[in-house]
Amino acid sequence: MDEQACIRLAQEGDRGAFREIFDGHRQKVFSLAYRYLRNQADAEDVLQETFIKAYHALALYQPEKGLNFSAWLNKICVNASIDALRKNRGKDFQKFEHEEVANMPDPARSSDPEVSTRNKEIREHVDLALDKLPPKQKIVFTLRHYQDLSIREIAESLDATEGSVKKHLFRAVEALKKRLRRFVTEDGYEV
Amino acid sequence: MKCKEAKKLIVLDHYGELEESERDRLRAHLKQCGTCAEDASLTAKVLAVIDVYEPAAKPSTDWEKAWDRVQAGIAGAPSPERARPAVGRRWAFAGAAAALVLAAGIFIGRYVITPGPQPSGIRADAATSPPPNGIRPAFAAHLEELKPIVLDYAHYAPGDRSGRDILVDEDVLRGLVLQNILLKRKIAEKDPAAADLLDDLDVVLREIVNRGAKDPEAPAQIKDLIEQRGVLFKMEIMKKI
Repeated sequence: MDEQACIRLAQEGDRGAFREIFDGHRQKVFSLAYRYLRNQADAEDVLQETFIKAYHALALYQPEKGLNFSAWLNKICVNASIDALRKNRGKDFQKFEHEEVANMPDPARSSDPEVSTRNKEIREHVDLALDKLPPKQKIVFTLRHYQDLSIREIAESLDATEGSVKKHLFRAVEALKKRLRRFVTEDGYEV
Repeated sequence: MKCKEAKKLIVLDHYGELEESERDRLRAHLKQCGTCAEDASLTAKVLAVIDVYEPAAKPSTDWEKAWDRVQAGIAGAPSPERARPAVGRRWAFAGAAAALVLAAGIFIGRYVITPGPQPSGIRADAATSPPPNGIRPAFAAHLEELKPIVLDYAHYAPGDRSGRDILVDEDVLRGLVLQNILLKRKIAEKDPAAADLLDDLDVVLREIVNRGAKDPEAPAQIKDLIEQRGVLFKMEIMKKI
């Protein structure tokens, strides 16, 4: 069934059609929330909230107005993620604390202890650098770098101008360069 | 073009967001300006470091459980088009509780019996003849899934092909590592021999994920690791027990 037909059926209350919509978009929505919030449990909450809100707001979605469904869903997810981040302010920053994820293989685990220590250090700095980005820069960077949305699509998702999106993206990358440059200039490293 | 403008365009160029004419102007500038060329190189390297060190290339969750939570959230709600009075809270709680029980059942069922995609024969065995230990069929299926990968490395012959020829999807590998961890936890107390093999497989899998695709020396070293730990031998033995 094509997406528009699914949306129409879901708008009439067809849960099966809504399930198809969920299956088609869940990975993107979850990835966005996870990259932005950097926390498994919060990302799961945002995934749930996004689709519940989407279900309730489906009647308001009008494809003829030009906004594609994915961008519409992104918008809901972005707002839910920003709300979640606000709620979490004041809590300690939780790095990917989920037990299974923490046990997953990563570049920080190497058989060479020296490399392993070095990699761990870089990994922590990458985490910190991404986490320290101001909210707008962080969301724009997440949408462009990880979600592969174009500047235009990001502008649509955030109700912003393309110029403003470009500005935030540029500032985000500059901040990341400033914080991480020593890892690419020392020892000629690493990637 | 001034350097200030070039700096902004470098970022957009990295993401393929420039018009052809802008890109040509930027490239021309980078040829003349060493500082901006260095900046372009730094931008690419920093963004690559972020890619390499970002955990969970494709973050995932238990989608069925997630859907159950969504279902619970919309349970009893009016359909998007119709506006009906809201259903009582009790029913929402009842729906949520039912969904939670269902999700827990699905999770436990998967956890114990089917840890990921399995060869159909093994799953059929598990279903028809109750095993002495509930986790055992899952363990056997896990070994079957890993066998081709371990064999690939065990039979690797330097010179015949480059290290990059052994390619296994990284997501599949990450799934297998996670499966290995879960099985190990479940099996550790009851079956030390199986747990020992899972330990060895854990080391091998992590080595493949961390080094396999990037390092041309890796296949030979992973082969040695498999030999040193007698992984294939242990796999064969465990199959027969």
